[in-house]
Order: sequence, then structure tokens, then C-alpha cells
Amino acid sequence: MAQGRPHVAVNDRALDPIGANSALDPVGGSGAPDGATALPVPAASTDVVEAIVVPNTLWTPVDPADYGPGTTGLNAEIEHLREVEASGVMSRDDARWSGALEIIPTKADYVLDLIRANSLWPLLSGLACCAIEMMSTATSRNDIDRWGMFPFRASPRQADVLIVAGTLTTKMAEPLLRLWEEIPEPKWCVAMGDCTCSGGRFKRSYSTVQGIDRIMPVDVYVPGCPPRPEGLIYGMMKLQKLVVDRRGHWPERKIGPTVPAGL
Amino acid sequence: MDRALRTRLERRFGERLTGPVRQRHDETEIRITAADVTEVVRSLHDEPELDFRLLADLCGVDTGDRMQVVYHLWSATTVDWLRVVADGLDRESPRVPSATFLWKGAEWMEREAYDMFGIVFEGNRDLRRIYMPDDYASFPLRKDFHLADDSSRSPGLGVRPMEETLAPADATPATLLRRSGAERA
Amino acid sequence: MTTDARTPNPHAALDDPSVLIEDVVRESIVEAVPIGRTERQAEFYTLRDGEMLLNMGPQHPSTHGVLRVVLKIDGERVVDIDPVIGYLHRGVEKLCENADYHQAICYTDPLEYVSSLFCEWAPVMAFEKLLDVEVPRRAEYIRVLSTELNRVASHALTMGWFALDLGGLTPVLYSFIERDEIMEMLTALTGQKLLFNYMRIGGVNGDLNHEFMSRLGDWMSRAARHIESNQGLLNENEILVRRARGLGILDPETALRMAVTGPNLRASGVPFDVRRAHPYSVFPELDFDIPTRQEGDCLARYLLRIDEIKQSLRIIDRCLHQLPDGPVMARLPRLVRPRPGRAFAAVEGPRGMYAAYVISDGTDQPFRMRIHDPSFVHLQLVGLMTPGNLVADTMAIMASLDPVMGGVDK
Repeated sequence: MAQGRPHVAVNDRALDPIGANSALDPVGGSGAPDGATALPVPAASTDVVEAIVVPNTLWTPVDPADYGPGTTGLNAEIEHLREVEASGVMSRDDARWSGALEIIPTKADYVLDLIRANSLWPLLSGLACCAIEMMSTATSRNDIDRWGMFPFRASPRQADVLIVAGTLTTKMAEPLLRLWEEIPEPKWCVAMGDCTCSGGRFKRSYSTVQGIDRIMPVDVYVPGCPPRPEGLIYGMMKLQKLVVDRRGHWPERKIGPTVPAGL
Repeated sequence: MDRALRTRLERRFGERLTGPVRQRHDETEIRITAADVTEVVRSLHDEPELDFRLLADLCGVDTGDRMQVVYHLWSATTVDWLRVVADGLDRESPRVPSATFLWKGAEWMEREAYDMFGIVFEGNRDLRRIYMPDDYASFPLRKDFHLADDSSRSPGLGVRPMEETLAPADATPATLLRRSGAERA
Repeated sequence: MTTDARTPNPHAALDDPSVLIEDVVRESIVEAVPIGRTERQAEFYTLRDGEMLLNMGPQHPSTHGVLRVVLKIDGERVVDIDPVIGYLHRGVEKLCENADYHQAICYTDPLEYVSSLFCEWAPVMAFEKLLDVEVPRRAEYIRVLSTELNRVASHALTMGWFALDLGGLTPVLYSFIERDEIMEMLTALTGQKLLFNYMRIGGVNGDLNHEFMSRLGDWMSRAARHIESNQGLLNENEILVRRARGLGILDPETALRMAVTGPNLRASGVPFDVRRAHPYSVFPELDFDIPTRQEGDCLARYLLRIDEIKQSLRIIDRCLHQLPDGPVMARLPRLVRPRPGRAFAAVEGPRGMYAAYVISDGTDQPFRMRIHDPSFVHLQLVGLMTPGNLVADTMAIMASLDPVMGGVDK
């Protein structure tokens, strides 16, 4: 637009990154050459555009007051949640395909559990010496990829199992618990090594947590200092059995914080 | 056991040594006061006939009635390790000049001595806790800090067994202050 | 925070009308030691325009354990770095003060867990100095042999982790093959796979046995070829070389100022090796070289470790040829009570000079057991070398310095 060219004193490259609009050129060029800049340029004016209002002629909205005092708003939501929780759907397997499994719960559950058991992805959470043994389990000589556990995920959001390998100190307890909380359900925890089972050789120390079951639920304990890779594999096979038999802590938990209240 | 080193040290630092130069196996030990640390260590580092340019270790020691800071140095001019003991630090408020002006790598070693003993190194630009969490209130390697056998009483994030054991009965967060370096309990 | 019945209400003073408020305030602020920021913290946590704090760790796939690193970055360039350690502090020094001399050896194993024979050797040497015990020559040779094997395993792991931190997932598998073979050998010798507990005051725990010797002979005949082939994976890999060359240059003067020892110092041109600078054990009788490089960058540190593996093979070979007969442990009572005194002993570990300073007070427990770990000192170099580089280079620099957090945090 020839006459509506605003004088832009500041070099506003954000509006005009490739210089198509020479109206914004601070040097003050003599206007756009013909047809060379055909790009659409947003209007540089600051006028408020009137909103276009379409009146609602499609339906008559309901009046919330018609439904009674306890049926809308926050209280209604809380009531609804209570009903849902009382009906028990929240404490069942949350990864169900709704509907189909109600009909044949046993077989599909079993298949799901087999799928989970054969593809448990651990989180890379090696703390100390047991981490070396965990890495040794993951590499060629003792290959944990035979059980599908090779992808050690770096992010807790993608992991299934938290293998706590190494001494847990009080400074590390908070980050480890955060990691545990961040892992989505279903999740299992393996305490690898003596230090995580019970404190191990650092039982008298002032700065270690004497066993991680003081702060998180543990499904499998693998003793040893450090446990041999074969020992860890045995522990993981036990975990697979746990997964298939639906033992361990996860299936009985309601959805919610996994650390009991009062801690 | 380098006798020549002993004579060199006695000649150079005679009046500053608070005791005889002791030698055993392959170590030579000199003892100085905390005030002399800067001068002695700088001389040991800079002078070409001493040339103790490698800092092997810096640590604190709590002898029960006083604190010490011990430096271990190596020089190509002698076969011995040199141990410099800055002795006589007050247990309640141990202060010693920092060695970071010579060896920047001493910064973390001094932080560790502070964390474990409470020894304040004057001149260290970063004197804060290194091993224990920042709000830990005790100095673990002191001799009045005792290990318990089963130390954890409450699980969870706030597990600080030794602080609960050692804090006096009326200790609250508001009153857990350090009064000019004196330790509680 | 405990809610104990015996903990009184901290605000009770404010409810008491006879207490003056100014006394309460004065008492609460005048004598407190300021728990403010140190100079370095103030400098670090002051962000200029465009800078951002990025927190890495303590759980991170690329740190060598639980290390938390706070990066101050400006875009992709690192402006400053603040490593936070202590997530693996197990209180080893305090535990050793409450244990016998023999029991204390067990506590020192898990410090640098990839090279735990060195972690036992330095304190044991210090104990032997306190007790004036002479170690039999056969025991010394076995010590050198087993520790040089541990050095080879540790360097193999370091090379694998260096590539892993730069993104290459394959070399670590090859490293672990090497390391697992050596670990099986050492299992046959010591009975344990990782935390060996093999050194004793006055010698070692047991003599060489047939299985160890046969595995060792078998491995030695293949070792040189294995190392050549593993080297071929990485040394001329363009990605590794271009990423690591010229990165994190450490000049010798700065290295001495930072109290650096070991391969990090030798890669900067300073030929300091405790085995030659302050010889211990039977190293004066063994014939080996000290590899040194001049460039001081990450690639030099990486290549130097390969050179050290070759020298270690040479030492093992010499040991096997010169192995004398005799006992493998001096006879000592079960409860040892050294005279009051102090002893300092240093060994050349795979990461640097690993030292122990022990004070004895005449009882059967050490009065003070101080461990000096090289990884602890080297981690300060990260703050020197990273500013100015990209975030991804942080990993390369840390991997080339080869810290082991067990030793850093004790």
C-alpha cells in the first residue's frame, strides 16, 4: 500500500526477516519495486480489529441451576471421582483395552504380562560398583539382550524397571525417589547389590540409606557385592516370573503415589 | 630418608618450625603454626632449591584436642615426600590460610576439609560443603561425631540420622546456630 | 524435620510477653555464621543476558556415576560450569577409623571400583610402613602383576566410555570383552570379580594358581593383537578425532597448579609417574617406559592410555619372567598394633596418583585414614576446560579426564 507506509524507526527484523518489505527499511528506500516482492506482509498498524460475533442460534444452552445444587462445579467433580473410585475401575489394570477384556480377562492379561515380561526396559541408574556389573551384564559376554532388556533408557519416562545398582546415599535419595516417581506404571524395582538390599558394607555409615526399601517398594533383591552378572540375570528372570504371576508391588497398588503416606 | 633435605629445611625455616624435622622411611615432616602457612608454603613452592611444585594431598586431622591441616608435597630435588603439618588449630574455630593462591587444585581439597571438620580456609573463594548436602549441620570426621550402629530412624527424604542423634534436646532450626564456630553437643 | 514431642515450639519466645522482641531478633541474627553464597557461587549464579542454567544429573547416561553438573550456557556454548558431587559419599574414612587395620582394607575397595587393587595397595603400603613390615619379593611381584592387569582392564573401560560418551555404542562392547577376560583371570586369582580384597598387610591373600596362569598365558598371547584391533576401531575414526583433537587443552603449568597427576598430566608433557618419580615395590627392577604426549588435548589423553596399556603388557611380561619363589605374605598377628606414627604412601593408579595417609595412635584401629583420590582433583579441571566449548564437548572432556565417582566421593 503506497500511502499507508508506516515509518518504522527500529530495525524490526522480526516482522520482515528476509527484507521483502522495504517499507521497513530504516534507510528509507523508495518503495517496493513492481512485482518483486509479492509476499503477504502483515499489517503494521496497531488497530484493534473488531471481533466477529455470531449469535448462537443453533441450540438453547442449559441453565446449570436446573440441575440442582450438588451436581455442577467442583463438588460435583469430587463426587463423581468418589463414585469412580468406589466402583474399583481405577485399581484394576490401567492398560486394559476397555471393553474387550471384560469378556476374556484372563487370557489377554496373561498375554499382556508376557509382553511386559519379555521387554522390560531398565533405567540407566547405576550409582556405584554394581553399575559396572550391570554394564557387564548388558554387554557381549553376559548378554541381557537375550531377555529383551538391552535398551537401558536414559529417561525415566520410557523405562519399566529401576535397577538400583550401587550404594544409595542420603544426598542421592531425593533424586532417586524422583526418578522412581517419574517412571510410569507399570514399574518394578530391583535392588541390586548388598548396599541396596540392606546397606551392605556401609551399614554403619552416616550418609548412606540402609537399604532402598526404606524409601521405595522393592520387588526383587539381588544380593552380592557386587552380584555376578549371572546373579543379576537370575534376579531379572525372577522378576519376569513376578511380572507374569502378577506378584510384586505393582498390581495391588491403587494409582497414586507409590510411597506410603506418613513418610 | 634424605638427611640433606633435613638440613636444608632447618637452615631455611629454622625459626618457624615448632618442632624437630622428623624423618621416617621416605617421608620428612615439618610442623609449623597456622599463621606461617602462607610464607612457608610459598617458599617451598617458589624457591628453586626446594621446588616443591606438586601438591600431593591436603587434608585435615582432628587429634582430639586440636586440629591440624596436613600438606604433602613432592619435589624433584629430593627422594622424600615432604609433609607440612600446620598444627595447633583451635578445635572450636579452626582457621588457616588457604593454599589456593599457589595451587588452584587445592580448592576442592580445602572444601572437603571444611565439610568434614569445619576448618575454615581463609582465602578460598568457594568454601562450601562438597560431600554432604548443603543444609547438613554436622562435621562428620570430627572425633566427637560418633557412628551409630543402625542409624536410620525415619526413612524418606529427610534421613539425617547423625543429626538427630547428636542434636541437643532443645535444638530447633531457629536455635541451631553456630556461635562463632562452636559446635553444638 | 521430625515432629518430636521433646522439640519445643521455636516461636514460644514470641508469645512470651516478658521477652523483648529485639533480644529475640538480636539473638537470632548477630552470632549466626552467614550461610550465604560464596564468592564463586555468587559469580556463577549471576546470569547475564541470554545465559541459562542447565542441570545435568545426578542421573545422566553420560556421567561416570552420580555427578551433577550445572552448566551456565549461552545458546550452545558453555560459559561456566559447577560440578556438584557427594551423591556417593559413603563415609569411608570415618568407617575405617572404627575398624581394625585388616578390616579397613575392605572399606577401601569400593572407592575406585574399576581399579580396586590400587585402592587397596596404597593404604596397605602405608600400614606396612607403620608396622615396619617387609613384604616378600614374590608378593611384591604378584602385586605388580595383578595391579598391572587391573590397569589394563581399567584403561580398556576408559576407552570404551570415551567412545560411549561421544555417542559410539560399539567400542564399549569391545572394551567389556577385554575387561571381562581380565576379570575372569583375577577371579581365578583372588576369588572376587570386582572388589577384590586381595591385598593384605605384608603381602597378598593367596599364591598364583594354575587356572590364573593358564588364563593369563592364553590372554597374553592374544592381547597385543586385540589391542591393535580395538585401536583400529577408534584411533582413525574421523568423528572421534575431529571431536577430540584440540579440545580441552591443558598446559603443563596449569596442570601442576591444579595438582593433576597420572595420564592427564603426562598427556600435557610432564613426565611424572609415581613408579619412576618415587619408586615403590619392585618397580626399580622392572623395565618399562613412561609414555608422554605433548598436546594436552582429549585425543592425547586417550592415546596416552593406549600407550600405557602397551607398557603394562611389557611389565606383566617382565614380572612373569622375573617372578621369584618364596612366601606370599609376611607373618603378622591377627590383631596389629603399630607404634604411634604417621605414614604416607602413594601408588600410580590408572587415573593418577592414589595416596593414603594413615595416622596410628598405638591402638588396633587407625586414628585417621586419609585417602587421596586423583579423580577428585581432576574433576576441578572440568571447570577450567569446558567454558567456551559446546555442551556436547563437556562429555568429551569429562570422559577424557576419566573420573570414577566412587573415588571422587569416597
